[in-house]
Amino acid sequence: MNPAAAVAKESRNAAQRQVRGSETVVLFMVANQTFAIAADAVQEIRSTDSLSGSAMEIEQIEVGKVRHTIERGRRWYFVVNAGMHFGLPVTRPTLVLILRNLPVAVLIDRIDRMAQIASVYPLPLAFAGEERRWYRGLAKVDDVIVPVIQPGGFLTGEELRVLDVALEAAASQRSELEGAAPA
Amino acid sequence: MIQASKSGRPSFVILQVGERRFALPAAVVAELAPPVRLHSFPHDTPAIRGVIVRRGHIVPVYDAASALGVRSTAAQRFYLITRRRAGKLREFGAIPVNGDCELAEGELQPAAADRPSCVLGTIQLREEILDVFDLDLLMSSGSPADSSASAEVRA
Repeated sequence: MNPAAAVAKESRNAAQRQVRGSETVVLFMVANQTFAIAADAVQEIRSTDSLSGSAMEIEQIEVGKVRHTIERGRRWYFVVNAGMHFGLPVTRPTLVLILRNLPVAVLIDRIDRMAQIASVYPLPLAFAGEERRWYRGLAKVDDVIVPVIQPGGFLTGEELRVLDVALEAAASQRSELEGAAPA
Repeated sequence: MIQASKSGRPSFVILQVGERRFALPAAVVAELAPPVRLHSFPHDTPAIRGVIVRRGHIVPVYDAASALGVRSTAAQRFYLITRRRAGKLREFGAIPVNGDCELAEGELQPAAADRPSCVLGTIQLREEILDVFDLDLLMSSGSPADSSASAEVRA
């Protein structure tokens, strides 16, 4: 089993494995930065190559970090480039985290590993920018402080509204093209 | 808040920030901490470098040099741990310093009109006139006032 599949399997069972007072997280990397996301917030982890057939480009310029959508199980997910979201240097993402209960998939460079964290500590009040929306807080993993992702922070309500409109336009354009194609 | 010494005169901690010396009211200074690992992660708050863990607390590290408009130097080997207000709450913050901090007494004089708004005034220390800055004003741009307080971490 490849590492991404193993992590995805681990993710599916994460809720059952949570120890009282601790949480299972997936540690992932984007542009050499490590982030943590709750394992039970991740539905699936796939390679970008495996999703190329189900991806659709959407034309919009308002939300630059989203260029594609993917369809999984009759649901559409907006694919957010995590590097652009966090203002990091451009990389070549190889994996997609498909989030649970949100229409969001996230392009990342690689999975580091799974880890147990004892607590999520609030972000110090001195942090006053977008990071308050990006992160649930901070966690200590093997003497390293890593930000813990707020899954709902990848796209704002306004960004989702813009993307919904763009997705609708792209879908209708696609069905028009399919209708016009010769049988 | 300016703390008065036993002599009744206000006391200040003198610190080197980048290429210049500044003064900070002694009341906001908790301790001088040794160099520990700086943890950085993406954020978009200006003048913050990251966090350190000190005495079980996650402490934000202020980039005081850029906030004060001075060039930072590589000689920052210690952290001056300060207490700062954030709305109704208080939290610790760390300023990278080179370790040459001293406690001094002096009378606070009004700041010149061209000084940044975070400068409370000046004090004279021997032949030197130093800006006294207000940490809350220096770091307060856009701080969330009513969020949760910093928490302890098991070190």
